[in-house]
Amino acid sequence: MTDILARRTLRQTALPEAIEAVHTELDKLWDDASFVPDLDRMTFATAVIEAASNVVQHAVPESTKPVELGVDISATSVRLEARVSAFNAVCPDPIDTDAAMPDGEAESGRGLALIRALVTTVTFKRQDGTNTWILSKSPLRD
Amino acid sequence: MDLSYEVKDSYAEITAAGRLNMVSAPKLREMVAEVVASGSARIVINLEATGFMDSSGLGALIGCLKAARQAGGDLRIAAVQPQVQMVLGLTSMDKVLTSYPSAAEAFGDD
Repeated sequence: MTDILARRTLRQTALPEAIEAVHTELDKLWDDASFVPDLDRMTFATAVIEAASNVVQHAVPESTKPVELGVDISATSVRLEARVSAFNAVCPDPIDTDAAMPDGEAESGRGLALIRALVTTVTFKRQDGTNTWILSKSPLRD
Repeated sequence: MDLSYEVKDSYAEITAAGRLNMVSAPKLREMVAEVVASGSARIVINLEATGFMDSSGLGALIGCLKAARQAGGDLRIAAVQPQVQMVLGLTSMDKVLTSYPSAAEAFGDD
């Protein structure tokens, strides 16, 4: 019941073009996991793109090696999970995971609040020079 | 994303086709600045073919709205698709960015 039924991974230099590659991998995941309802696809994909964009826009290299974006997305019959990583990146400042949605006419600062609104859990871990945000969405809706 | 614009009688219509994300958001800002500079501050962005928008794209729409209003006009959006509507709703920006069923209706009342 909890076997991974579809999985896609990507790792490349964290440049804006990488975001289009993430969209492509999400589309391929849905090709292999046709049971995932449209609404869950829409919310999960939006959260994954937000997290990947965050890496591309804000990750700071730890050395002369450029930051690489890693995306590992998988689906079981009841759960979607994404591990979005920044390789070769410094540990980010503590993140206020309860950050509220900015009001009114602010032009930025909605990414994390949006991710939290879209998925069930958001966790962060730092290991061996890699920052990883783990997003999960469950249960899937019919 | 493919962006184009057409100046009509009482407004300018920008058509945005594709994904409005961190890659395309700066291009939309540039196009709106160009349209405003050409003298058209009443702008409707036709989102019928925009299947995806993230917070960068939303930030660009808000910036473009401000640019249009500072020039004495307004910016409205039309033909919003489900994913874009979801992002607007979750961020409560559907109260700030007025949405219309079609580009022709966006400035139809004034």
